[in-house]
Amino acid sequence: MLVLVITNFFVFISGIVLSDEINNFESKTDSLRKVNLSLEKEVANLGSLKFANEQAKKLGFTNLSAPQSLDQLEYAYRH
Amino acid sequence: MLQVINSPENKSPYLKTNKLTPIRGRIYDKFNHPLVLNQNSYLLYLEPKKIIDKDKLINSLSNSLEVTEASISAKIDMSKYWLSIQSGLTQEQKDKIQKLNLKGIGFDYQTKRFYPEASLSAHLLGFLGKNDQGEDVGYLGLEGFYNRDLQGLPGFVETERDIIGRPILIGVQQRVESENGRDLVLTIDKTVQEISKKKLLEGLDLYKAKKGCIITADPKTMAILSLVCLPDYDLEKYYLFSEDFYKNSAISDLFEPGSIFKPLIMAAALEEKKIKPNDTYNETGQVSIGEYNIKTWNDKYEGKISMTRILEKSSNVGMVYVGEKLGSKKIYDYLGKYGFGQTTNIDLQGEASGYLKPKADWYPIDYSTVTFGQGIAVTSIQMIRAFASIINGGNLMKPYLVQKIVSENKITEIKPKVEKRVISQLTSEIIKKMLVSTVENAEAKWNLPKGYVIGGKTGTAQIPIKGHYDPSKTIASFIGFAPASDPKFITLVVLYEPQTSPWGSETAAPLFFEIVKQLIVYYNISPSR
Repeated sequence: MLVLVITNFFVFISGIVLSDEINNFESKTDSLRKVNLSLEKEVANLGSLKFANEQAKKLGFTNLSAPQSLDQLEYAYRH
Repeated sequence: MLQVINSPENKSPYLKTNKLTPIRGRIYDKFNHPLVLNQNSYLLYLEPKKIIDKDKLINSLSNSLEVTEASISAKIDMSKYWLSIQSGLTQEQKDKIQKLNLKGIGFDYQTKRFYPEASLSAHLLGFLGKNDQGEDVGYLGLEGFYNRDLQGLPGFVETERDIIGRPILIGVQQRVESENGRDLVLTIDKTVQEISKKKLLEGLDLYKAKKGCIITADPKTMAILSLVCLPDYDLEKYYLFSEDFYKNSAISDLFEPGSIFKPLIMAAALEEKKIKPNDTYNETGQVSIGEYNIKTWNDKYEGKISMTRILEKSSNVGMVYVGEKLGSKKIYDYLGKYGFGQTTNIDLQGEASGYLKPKADWYPIDYSTVTFGQGIAVTSIQMIRAFASIINGGNLMKPYLVQKIVSENKITEIKPKVEKRVISQLTSEIIKKMLVSTVENAEAKWNLPKGYVIGGKTGTAQIPIKGHYDPSKTIASFIGFAPASDPKFITLVVLYEPQTSPWGSETAAPLFFEIVKQLIVYYNISPSR
């Protein structure tokens, strides 16, 4: 009888521990999913043409980016 | 003690069923650069019965959400248990509001669409709105056309939980996983899209046009490389725009194509061996068809001219001659072969079929005017598809935007599809040479990139209003391809009602060549002479 009570108690405690773990994993999975989406957004932002344009403007690059050699091909051929 | 096992009436108060919402599919360009992703978002709600200080709450929310106190106050009904206040809050906004420690507020997690390239491809992508049940639904563009693929299948989890929310392991546990939406990999190249949009913006500004579209495609496959129409709308705030802005002109607006149509009839006549490129036509003056007189754009006539010269100088009377040689039956047959009057079945929501009136309703004048692109209404996508068929060896292709549909365990590849053969390889080579000559010997002189062989044709169509043409309003266009020997791309530029000049040669054509200069650098195409 005592063995049954102890076993029952053990199963009960294990159940609570396991339930806690399930709960923890569920919330961790949820937060990982959210972090994943945030990181995906950040990476996409950094790789976007929009970001490149902003940086180019900041660095004064756009004025120099036109393909000059097309209208003066002889320049491109000679040099 | 009496226990009832598995009685359906004995539903545990601890049994909780949650819907597992699938993540909507993402959309990428041809190099897997993201165009549409999902991002974390929160719905702010109120539980009015739990509010302690209503005025403080309204004031704090007004400051945090940057909306007026009156609009928040109007939403609050103290007799309700739950009220939605604002959706689409970012993590930062949520954290900021949570720090205020307001009683009676809460947050529900949601996802919303995120556009890394902002509105680079608004018409193309479409947007995600709600249906009358408050569920997410894609509207227009790819979101609309591929809604079922993108939305995925919801799952559910049914589980017995104790009073603090922990699963009861010996209780009911049932879980049906959701299936996330499928990702779309497009044929669109975001760099070509960016070039097109930038140039179109400049063009609309420079030529004071009302609106415009640019489509670039691979002529061999009709994989669309870019498709942009302006004005467009902000995808993030689509609800601030009227429905007129949602319409994708490239697939929904009909227009009379004008002279860009001439090469199609010329190719048909060549294919039927009714003419040869060096055949001559004696261009002496206006041509009368019934009560109508047809003239050239400047009412000047050159005498004996070749078929190639008819295209070079865009002679309407010359095209009437070509049409007469081809014959009315063949003209009508070829319009069908080129796919006019039918949808192209491009994978976008909202395509119009164009209008090709029944053969019985055609008068002799219609067969004459259609040879120079008047009296027929087409969409831009139909026009570029038909034109691609005469330069790609003769195949009418189905235009498409999605090259891969990617699900969790399967990748479906979409291959180019030949709809029908319209003309032969030989005729295609001949018409390409004629179109190169058209660019090089056109009456207008353009700033062509030196060393490159480019083919194309200008178009200027008057806009029909109440049974007559408005002389002050035109649709200016240019369709061209490069490099002519083995075209890497075909581009159609359409400008509606340009104010600086009504002519395609002075508006759409220079814009086309500006785009070409950028594309030949981007594609690393070397000069051939």
